Amino acid sequence: MGILLYVFIAGWIVPLKPGIIKVSPEKTAAGELVVLDVTGYNTSFLTDSAHLRAWLRLTGDTVIAAQHVQAWDNRNLSASFYIPSAFPFRQEAYPLSFVLDHSKDGTSVLPNAIFITPAAIQDTADLKLWYQHKIENVHTKAGIQYPFRNILAETIRNTYFHVPMWFSMIILFGVSAWYSLKYYKKGDIDFDRMSVAFIKVGLVFGVLGLLTGMLWAKNTWNAYWSWDVKQNMSAICLLIYAALMVMRSSVEDDMQKARLTAGYNMFAFVLVIPLLFIIPRMTDSLHPGNGGNPALGGEDLDNTMRLVFYPAVIGFIMLGLWISQLVYRTDKLKGIA
Amino acid sequence: MNRIWTLVATEARIELRERYALSGIVLYVLSSSFIVFSIWRQLPAKEWGLTFWVIFLFCALMAVLKTFGKESEGRYFYYYTLYHPLELFLAKVFYNLFLLLFIFLVLWFVLYVMAGNHIIRLGWFLTTGFMACMGLSFLLTLITSIAIKTQQNASLTAVMALPLMIPLLINILRLTAYASGTTPDENPWNEMMLLSGIISLVVGMSLWLFPYLWRS
Repeated sequence: MGILLYVFIAGWIVPLKPGIIKVSPEKTAAGELVVLDVTGYNTSFLTDSAHLRAWLRLTGDTVIAAQHVQAWDNRNLSASFYIPSAFPFRQEAYPLSFVLDHSKDGTSVLPNAIFITPAAIQDTADLKLWYQHKIENVHTKAGIQYPFRNILAETIRNTYFHVPMWFSMIILFGVSAWYSLKYYKKGDIDFDRMSVAFIKVGLVFGVLGLLTGMLWAKNTWNAYWSWDVKQNMSAICLLIYAALMVMRSSVEDDMQKARLTAGYNMFAFVLVIPLLFIIPRMTDSLHPGNGGNPALGGEDLDNTMRLVFYPAVIGFIMLGLWISQLVYRTDKLKGIA
Repeated sequence: MNRIWTLVATEARIELRERYALSGIVLYVLSSSFIVFSIWRQLPAKEWGLTFWVIFLFCALMAVLKTFGKESEGRYFYYYTLYHPLELFLAKVFYNLFLLLFIFLVLWFVLYVMAGNHIIRLGWFLTTGFMACMGLSFLLTLITSIAIKTQQNASLTAVMALPLMIPLLINILRLTAYASGTTPDENPWNEMMLLSGIISLVVGMSLWLFPYLWRS
């Protein structure tokens, strides 16, 4: 329980790193002077505002530096740029990333912040503007914070709750299948009770995993349910186990009930594995970990997050196992088979 | 093996003696195709494949549902003394396999006549169809054998079998899309491997579990 207390407190309280939410205007033409209004998150622009530096980056070292940066308050600033009329390569439109460096907040990036349409008249002398500056001497933010990811923002905390739910569910169903196998071998009704207790709790974890996932999806994919493979597969997985519970309730004889449960449970568990792990990997999905989206690892799970994520996984799994034991004992006391 | 064929032949003879059984299936296929077709009006290649398998699934469910239903308790007891459960199971599976293949061909014919042909890779479609019948007959036979022991077996068969069919169905739909040329699938062998993997899982599990579930 201590672990979960720590997970909840650390998961909710530790702030996010400063980041940039919005840059406006979102597009402009090349060869013009543009003043960008930048909105930050958890930022403190006013402290040491003289040393704010901003860039627009095309690729790697191809950057232009801001001519002037003016902080209005802690969350808003303006940066003026001259967009060169000529670009090193030809394209319909040029997406530029906005990079900001602050002595206290560190560096923040907003990818594809502004789109540039090519100029009618290109002055090749402007080409060298792209190579005059480099992004260097950047600062990093000190202290314990979670990374700021665009779009994800605060929902990155869902990593501590949504992901462990599914881990625990799979483990609970696995343990349940294991007890079904034991019942298959020994025929002791206690093993049946045990496996059903694990299925009940696993179902609760599965529903919670689905709900936390849907809340997260509303904020990032803009819909609770978008018929994504992962969503469909997890819903079907829950349907299978719900069907098992329905089947149990319609059998009169206890031994018969236990035998059918054990059989269907093992059958279902073996089929759920391709369902949840192989098929979503084979199709495009919006879910992290599929279709080129990053999942556990890379920039979405840095070392600070690991400090909370791993205890969260262990904590929720242990919670699931513990509740299952309680369910098993109450069922046994009540004499429910 | 011979004993299994005897059982299959007995099943078939009982079924053929009652004329309404097979013709019932044909009528079911026809009427459901008509309903679907009058909703869709026309079936382009992509919808053709989807419609085909949706109708097939429900016809298969309906046909397999009565696998264990029509015998009296006494006959089971008689079978139980005569045959090993696995022989009985395989006989039922083979019989259902023939039923499903029959539905497959009838449905294909009906949709061919009503909505035209959209299959450009015939071999792939037939292989997929055969694999689908195989997998479904094992899965459905096992599930009906569970559901028959409960109070409300018809709805429970559907409830328990439908979600379990999904992995099979997804692969079948993808292979059908490849066979009708609606997806630029470069490597259909991957899908085929996965499909046969899932089917062998189903076959292995059901052969292992049936003798255990049958005891009662």
